Amino acid sequence: MSVLTERRPLGDNAKAWALNAPAIVVISLLVAYPIGYSFYVSMQRNNLKRPRAKRFIGLDNYKALLSDDAFLSALKVSALFVLVVLGMTVVLALLLALVLNERFRGRGLLLSLALLPWAMPGVVNGLMWRTIFDAKTGALNGLLTQLGLIDSYQAWLTSGTGAFLFTALAQVWNTLPFSVIILLAGLSTIPSELYDAATVDRAGAFRRFTQVTIPWLLHPLLIVLILETMNAFRAFDTIYVLTGGGPGDATTTIALLDVQTVLTFTDFGLGSAYAWVITAITLLISVGYIGLLYRKGNFEV
Amino acid sequence: MTTVVQVPLRYRVPFKKIALYVLAVAFGLYLVLPFYWIVAMSFMHEADAIAVPPSWVPVHPTLENYLGFVNPDAAQELVGGRAVSETPYSLRNSLVVATATALLNLVLATFAAYSFSRLKFRGSQVLLLLYLLTRMVPGIAIIIPFYLLMRSFGLLDTYLALILSYTTFALPITIWILKDFFRSVPRELEEAARVDRCGWFRTMWSVFLPVAAPGLVAAAVFAFMTAWNEFMFALFLTSTTAAKTIPVVAANFATDFNTQFTVMAAAGVLAVVPPLVLALLFQRKLVQGMAAGSVKG
Repeated sequence: MSVLTERRPLGDNAKAWALNAPAIVVISLLVAYPIGYSFYVSMQRNNLKRPRAKRFIGLDNYKALLSDDAFLSALKVSALFVLVVLGMTVVLALLLALVLNERFRGRGLLLSLALLPWAMPGVVNGLMWRTIFDAKTGALNGLLTQLGLIDSYQAWLTSGTGAFLFTALAQVWNTLPFSVIILLAGLSTIPSELYDAATVDRAGAFRRFTQVTIPWLLHPLLIVLILETMNAFRAFDTIYVLTGGGPGDATTTIALLDVQTVLTFTDFGLGSAYAWVITAITLLISVGYIGLLYRKGNFEV
Repeated sequence: MTTVVQVPLRYRVPFKKIALYVLAVAFGLYLVLPFYWIVAMSFMHEADAIAVPPSWVPVHPTLENYLGFVNPDAAQELVGGRAVSETPYSLRNSLVVATATALLNLVLATFAAYSFSRLKFRGSQVLLLLYLLTRMVPGIAIIIPFYLLMRSFGLLDTYLALILSYTTFALPITIWILKDFFRSVPRELEEAARVDRCGWFRTMWSVFLPVAAPGLVAAAVFAFMTAWNEFMFALFLTSTTAAKTIPVVAANFATDFNTQFTVMAAAGVLAVVPPLVLALLFQRKLVQGMAAGSVKG
């Protein structure tokens, strides 16, 4: 073995870490340090409006969460929101991806349209649905009345259940494209021989779907489930603009409650404790995600 | 042995085709109608926009909603004047912040992605995993320390605070996109350059990067859109027209009860045009990137 071949991997090591150094510095300074510091703040009584009362209180903020009605309610709203959004997203995204996977005139146009909601900032999404759902002048009321489906204009966002469901609808519209793209990428890798074989075996369209498409799509579907769960769990922009968490606390998700706690009540200690609960739950979900990627071999470098 | 399946020669109703087109049209309407409505409204007079039943097209088209943003005096007369007069500044701020984020991000990500695509090194898997993991950290978990950090540096309400935070958001994604893209660039190119005695930087600059340009553009577009659309950090970190971005000002329209729907719609359209144009221009690259990295949110 020559000296050269022995030295080379070592040179690569040093070079690679040098190349990664700027990214690592930025990320550790702006993510790793803050997240550690946030845990420290979560163990303080720390309200900007009462600086004298600031002190270390250990896990008291976390203990208080167990009997914190606002927190428990927000957790419940978030969990429900994830379920509803996820259910609608998966069904719609799968259907749209199946349509886009066929050959037909106008497919390119439909694909471009599918990117439209993805490009829309969450705040604008909220504004848009606010004008559409409006009780007195909204387009939804206008459309349904003209179609003869409702007799008079409805106030969609004034009941708790209504506000919740319509917020979920707005969120689904915004996040749908992302799932569609992942599922479409999965669908396009299914070898057509599989379908041919199933057709030869006289499998009907439904059996081809359940026995070829779904098993093959299992992995992309899981990725969609995990990432959309995370998205819905942190949903903030659209809800903030559309309902502001109301009426009452019907659409106050955990992320919204956290921002209110910090921005309105300037309670940094409690806000950090909320944030850490969100982080813990998100981390649990991402461990599943990364495990999946590992299994599929996406992680080979 | 093969059996020949007899196909009857009678006409069959193409149920599948019909179902396909019905679904395609339904989805098309679902995707485009909400957006069509705010575009249409942005060209209407308020009276037409809130008419019952609504007029679905601008019967008396007008540019007054947009002109209000250019002419601050006129804006004062429109209801919701403050958000209106802040809109041009916030568009400028968004443009500066998103462009700077895209550039800074590109430099950092190119270095890192190159190492994953060309070098075998110890810890590469762990490092890639850590990058991915930072993407999973919810923004809300770091916003409080980030706010305190920026406050102690005196960076609140500045571009720099936003650029730094958005760069960290976009970095893992762009490293991921570029890593895959760089691998598809043939190694022979760099080896040829090395034979010609080009140094490493020279090789990168005049051989490797030009070939990798499409991937770089996709990554930059991704970072630009991330920065342009972000709301929560901008809400915490900015307070005046010195740094407020367009999502923050757009949200002000929603919280002001007097805002005219048509003006709000015009602001919404202005905020969505840059990311939308980019998404449509770079459609294929972005779709590939999204599918490959499975990363957003």
